[in-house]
Amino acid sequence: MQSYGGWTGKTLRVNLSTGKISQEDTARYKEYLGGTGVGYRVLWDEVPAKTRSFDEANKIVMGGGPLTGTSAPCGGRTSITTIFPCVYPTELVGTGHMGGHWGAELKYAGWDNVIVEGKSDKPVYIAISDDRVEIRDASHLWRNGIYRATASICQEMGPETQVAAIGQAGENLVRMSVVMNAFSHSAGGVGSVFGSKKLKAVAVRGSGSIKIAANAQEWKKLRRYVLSLMGGNNQHVVPSTPQPWSEFSAPRSRWTARKGLFWGAANPVIETGECRPEELNRIGFRTMKATYDLGPEAEKHTVRMGGCASCPIRCHSQIDVPSVEAKYGVSRYAASTCVGWNGRMYFKSFPDGPAGTTSIEAAVVGKHMADDYGVWTCYSQLQRDFRWAYENGFIKANLPAEEYKSIDWSKCEAGDPGFLKELYRRIALREGEFGIAFGEGPGYLAARWQFPQSYFNSEATHYWKMGHPGHHANEDAGQAGVLINLIYNRDAQCHSHSNFVRNGLPTSIQKQLAEKLWGSGAVDDVQNFTRMNPDKAKFAVWALLRKELHDSLTLCNWMYPMVASPLKSRNYEGDNGIEAQLYSLVTGDRKDAAELDLVAERIFNLHRALTIRDMGTAEMRTVHDVIPDRIFDLPENKQPFTPGTNKMDREDMETAKDLFYQALGWDRKTGAPTRATLERLGLKDVAEKLAGMGLLPV
Amino acid sequence: MPLYGAWSALLPDSGEVILENAKGMIVADSTRCVGCKLCELACTEFNEGRSQPSLARVKISRNYNFGPRGQQAGFNRGMGEFGNLRLVQDVCLQCPHPVPCATACPYGAIVMDPKTGARVVDQKKCRGCRVCQRACPWEMTTFNETTAKASKCFLCNGEPECVAVCPTGALRFVSWNNLTKAVPVRQAILPVTKDYVSAGCSNCHSKRR
Repeated sequence: MQSYGGWTGKTLRVNLSTGKISQEDTARYKEYLGGTGVGYRVLWDEVPAKTRSFDEANKIVMGGGPLTGTSAPCGGRTSITTIFPCVYPTELVGTGHMGGHWGAELKYAGWDNVIVEGKSDKPVYIAISDDRVEIRDASHLWRNGIYRATASICQEMGPETQVAAIGQAGENLVRMSVVMNAFSHSAGGVGSVFGSKKLKAVAVRGSGSIKIAANAQEWKKLRRYVLSLMGGNNQHVVPSTPQPWSEFSAPRSRWTARKGLFWGAANPVIETGECRPEELNRIGFRTMKATYDLGPEAEKHTVRMGGCASCPIRCHSQIDVPSVEAKYGVSRYAASTCVGWNGRMYFKSFPDGPAGTTSIEAAVVGKHMADDYGVWTCYSQLQRDFRWAYENGFIKANLPAEEYKSIDWSKCEAGDPGFLKELYRRIALREGEFGIAFGEGPGYLAARWQFPQSYFNSEATHYWKMGHPGHHANEDAGQAGVLINLIYNRDAQCHSHSNFVRNGLPTSIQKQLAEKLWGSGAVDDVQNFTRMNPDKAKFAVWALLRKELHDSLTLCNWMYPMVASPLKSRNYEGDNGIEAQLYSLVTGDRKDAAELDLVAERIFNLHRALTIRDMGTAEMRTVHDVIPDRIFDLPENKQPFTPGTNKMDREDMETAKDLFYQALGWDRKTGAPTRATLERLGLKDVAEKLAGMGLLPV
Repeated sequence: MPLYGAWSALLPDSGEVILENAKGMIVADSTRCVGCKLCELACTEFNEGRSQPSLARVKISRNYNFGPRGQQAGFNRGMGEFGNLRLVQDVCLQCPHPVPCATACPYGAIVMDPKTGARVVDQKKCRGCRVCQRACPWEMTTFNETTAKASKCFLCNGEPECVAVCPTGALRFVSWNNLTKAVPVRQAILPVTKDYVSAGCSNCHSKRR
């Protein structure tokens, strides 16, 4: 491993049962890159089939990959892979992903990954200062929120320390809990696994280095090339408003900078201004996420944008809302992005309208409560479930009368953000039936309160399967979106496809770009989808493999792949080989896009193999890869593949599965990887083991 | 041309007394900093071929969480990501004479680059004693643990990489000005002055002369 750049070459293993701390050569995981790839391999090798999330035998694998911590643009991400607690009804492999600065710091400390195993009998945290690794007492941190835990650990280890910690939710084995670092970057769903091991935090401080294999000029040139193809957040490549330099504009683009739009709480204020593609020293202004997420009222509260290590696209809004201090007793300063601001969604309305000051206050209070207690909202499923259960009388029906009365529902009705303090406290501390039920997560909640079919079939709940919502499914990419959403055990978290179809370019240009990559049939106009075809299967496979690749390298799947660009001079073409170029120059292990996609396929098949092993069946097609009825049945008055609807067709989706399984070399009947495919990917040992368990398709 | 004291030729290691000012300097606008830390990475990747914030000659990591004054003011009353969200970058001020790091160096290893006027560590002369790290009031001298030599901002020979890589233009390369009285210091310095340097001082500053 010494001969490569990118990797530090060392993997850290900490056993909390025995207190043993050991070091391993990362070389054994090179064919899995890092991040989720290593996570799946460790779970396959070391965690017995059907291990439950909170069992001592479950392990946590956290880390970045060879690009993490380098200046590879948007390489600041960390994957935390484990037996994922929110999967319903059987806990299965899953990953929580977080940005921030923890993964980069771990690399500087000299470690590629951390494998945590066993279970402590008292609260501890893992302190990593370069080579010095200790399991330290955390009894003074237990029962405290993430903010205090972080502050206290930084007092002990130094102010630069990056702390990935859980709050009370994780400690109390609330399934809907996170691990969080850097104030606003959380890995969803995995906090309670930390809690089950009595592990409060993993804190890192690093003074070391990562070698870049290529020479500096070559590396600099590639970085500039990548930046030249970059768009705004989600790789949206046209601005949201008409601008002289751009042929196109699209209102929902996240390239939101424009003349007259300010970081209004910067002191003095800063205009985001026009940010033309070639202005690389203004690329950080391109995405003004505060107003995109929170509405125009947020402009005056915007201190700046922020985000992860080594990313020039800043997607976390950093806002200052002074009024929340006196009104709700939380800090006026808050940072988050996207659904992280969805404290607003618990309320039907606010006294000053849906996007007024109160809605921003609700976003801030919600952020602080969720991020300090460490509660996960599961792509806002918690909010949607709460609204649905409240409006349909399921909260009243399932709570003891005393408990129901003890909740101040008038605040909820009145749109008072103070309601969130009570809501999150009950969930994080597992108070009463309300706290326990909502903390269990959508699948367990629905079973516990016996939600009727109308819950599962509601567009409002957006429920998909196995305890999780849909996440960029047919509403974005038709059949490809559905295929992507049926493959994981949690919500799909894949953006390769949605970034492309939402990039703001006209469909005619998207089709031209698609033709070269997957065939022109791969993309349709949203709300005017066509029947399944092999191009769409190729598109879905590509999207999934790249997502796994990104979570292993690591690069941000909210920005990559970059197959479209803002450059008219290139006919808006991006470059499908950027990930491979970055990987090759950083590590010195020269691979082209196809070779790296093969690695991604290996990683992805391991995820499938783990799912099959732990479900104890190779019958994925009908048991695992299920699709909610609502996407075939709603809206009732529309026919599939007609203008104005994203409705899908049952028979057509079965064809889609056929083509998808075929494209992956999986058994068409069951959707399980075949021996030939596993062997082609260098997973002979996996094939042998599955065969021994009777889980290989015949 | 570097301008040295006429007496410097008499000293064992000539060049450690720098009288000329740098031609340029980097200034940081903290209101524009978005905390990506790309400046630190550009500094070491394009100069040493390694990603290593601890060696970077522009500094943001140490202020990122809590600001330059740490947690003294309380969790959300201070600065930084966990405070009022304001991020502060630290840059080398390219101090005028007497240049603290150069004056403190026992080996005369901190010299002037004639091209930029930047004060730079002569890697051949540096013996790795770290005295310069204690001499800079702004804690801007860094140490390369791999080579066991000190390092400091040398303005990338006139084209600073941190400035080029900054996504918000929060770092700018401008004409030099003396800002040493305008920027709050970070540490009490360890005053070390070699006998022959003090002798040199009185050479110019003594009333008797």
